[in-house]
Amino acid sequence: MWKSVIYKEWLKIRWVAIIFGGLGILAVGNIFLKVQHDLVFNEATNYWYFILFQGYQFFGYGLFKFIPVLGALAVAVAQYFPETVNKRIKLTFHLPLNENKVLLMMMLFGTICLLAIDVIMFLLFTSLSLLFFPSEIIIATLVSTAPWFLCGFVVYFLVALIVLEPVWKYRFMYIIVAGAFVPIYLESAETGGYAPALPLLILFTVVLSISLLFSGYRFRKGEM
Amino acid sequence: MVKISRYILVVIAIVGFSIGIPKLYWMAFSKPIRVPFVMYSCIENDFMIQRSGEDGLMRQDTRGNNYTREEYEEKLPFLYVRQLLMSNTMPDSINGVEMDTHEISMNRSTFRVQPEDLDSQTQKLFPLFEAESGRANLEMPEDYFRISWRMEFVDAKSNKILEEKSQMFSAVLYNRGFEFPAKSINGIPTTRKSCDEGYLVVDSKDQLFHIKMIEGEPFVEKVKLPGGMKFKYISCVDFRNKNFYAYLFSTNNELYILTQDEYELIKFPVENIDPAKNQIRIYSDLFHYNIIVSGDDFVKVYALDTNYQNVNDYYETWPAREDRSEGKIIQALFPGQISMTDSDSNFIRFYTTFNSSLYWLVLSGLLIGVQFVIIKKRNLELKKNIIDFIIIGVSGIFGFLAVNIFPNKFFD
Repeated sequence: MWKSVIYKEWLKIRWVAIIFGGLGILAVGNIFLKVQHDLVFNEATNYWYFILFQGYQFFGYGLFKFIPVLGALAVAVAQYFPETVNKRIKLTFHLPLNENKVLLMMMLFGTICLLAIDVIMFLLFTSLSLLFFPSEIIIATLVSTAPWFLCGFVVYFLVALIVLEPVWKYRFMYIIVAGAFVPIYLESAETGGYAPALPLLILFTVVLSISLLFSGYRFRKGEM
Repeated sequence: MVKISRYILVVIAIVGFSIGIPKLYWMAFSKPIRVPFVMYSCIENDFMIQRSGEDGLMRQDTRGNNYTREEYEEKLPFLYVRQLLMSNTMPDSINGVEMDTHEISMNRSTFRVQPEDLDSQTQKLFPLFEAESGRANLEMPEDYFRISWRMEFVDAKSNKILEEKSQMFSAVLYNRGFEFPAKSINGIPTTRKSCDEGYLVVDSKDQLFHIKMIEGEPFVEKVKLPGGMKFKYISCVDFRNKNFYAYLFSTNNELYILTQDEYELIKFPVENIDPAKNQIRIYSDLFHYNIIVSGDDFVKVYALDTNYQNVNDYYETWPAREDRSEGKIIQALFPGQISMTDSDSNFIRFYTTFNSSLYWLVLSGLLIGVQFVIIKKRNLELKKNIIDFIIIGVSGIFGFLAVNIFPNKFFD
């Protein structure tokens, strides 16, 4: 039964996840193509200087900041929107499985897919960075990009919450909450500047993972 | 579990609103605080104050005499030297000293440090310039150094460690008593300076070293420090008169300079100089040092002579943002606020401020009453909403919005 539930989730998101993964890899590749190009046209020492002392953020190239967010948004919509069409999720709730467990399983599956794609992007980014930069630059860069990836998960959890919410009035209010909360992951800062905020941002992201239960509960109880 | 998910969402909403709503408030109602510009006049032997107001700029001295723009500029000849030379109003001599443009220029300097310079990502990689290359201009080296368990040079092109150079510098540092790793490395990492004086480096035992490279060889000088002296910030300078290497701010809020070649630490007779909290500006000229310390609600200016003795000082306060009408209103509306950024830091943090006044409790009480009515209207049990009342009581309007956006009505 669980295998079937997971397979259903995979069917819903597979193309979106594959496209997101592909775009993510391309975005990382694009960044390092630019780095390589810049190193051909500038002395390496000057390029390091721009990064270390003039605030140049090579990792900000090509809207990389928004790729995890947009990918997560697309996966969440692909996974949860079909469930709201004709209230199909009620079919899932009729399965001989614990309703909360089913919802958490759906969320866990989506999260693992996002995590897998993010890990691939993160590893690719880190290993390509190692070719060009010293550890000081890489660590600061990873600290700066970490909130963007965390933001992807937050958007995924909140979009799931919003899509599954049965009442439009509340959907609108959840969007306002998301609009106030999500930007804290996307502030402009110097490279490595997010370090003090990261522990709380990670905590918020982790605890938000069960937020879907709330609108799932309202859906089950027939809130209109 | 569902209940927990609701409270998580309520907390998330409270965090979001505590950031977003006060931000909107300040965007709509904040007004600029006009900080006076105060400088010591070597002509009047008094402080000259320039204030900007709604009627434009006002220039006066501490006795309340008003000056025109031209008169004001003449009282501060070293600040407006170009203007005075242009309008032929530069005096031939001041205090018996003949005015020579070269001398004026040699002794003029400006310096500024502000809290965000200290609360910032610590730089760990620096370029070590060749201090005596025989070239007119400084050249950017091909490598950068770090001082971790040793002094290590990394070639930028290959991203590889230069073993020979690293060993040479590390050995000299070790022999001079340097305790690895470095706590702070302070210098001017740019080719746009008159010459290179390397770096002032604090080691793990708070010893101070001067490190530079002369003809490819390491130059390391240990600076004698009074026992227990620690620095919170060192800023190297490149002033024309080459009197000193750096301004040094100690952890007990004192200000020192480190003289060139003699490595003598000289303490400025100024108190409570804390660049972690206040902006510090230092202007020097032929006769005086002006040390301007400015905070959210005050400015203190010390005038020192060129022997670093206090000549005069000036202090002025004004209401801080929280004490002005717009600050008082926000204190009545919200229990506090969160901001992810702060003008005194380059870091992103959850900067949380709680209101010192408790007027917001009135609004919280009112909102608890409104919530009570809402619960009664929905025929819900009061007992099961006690946590919501507590949330509203503690977080005011943010909590009220949050508990109503994520309603509790299913849980009874």
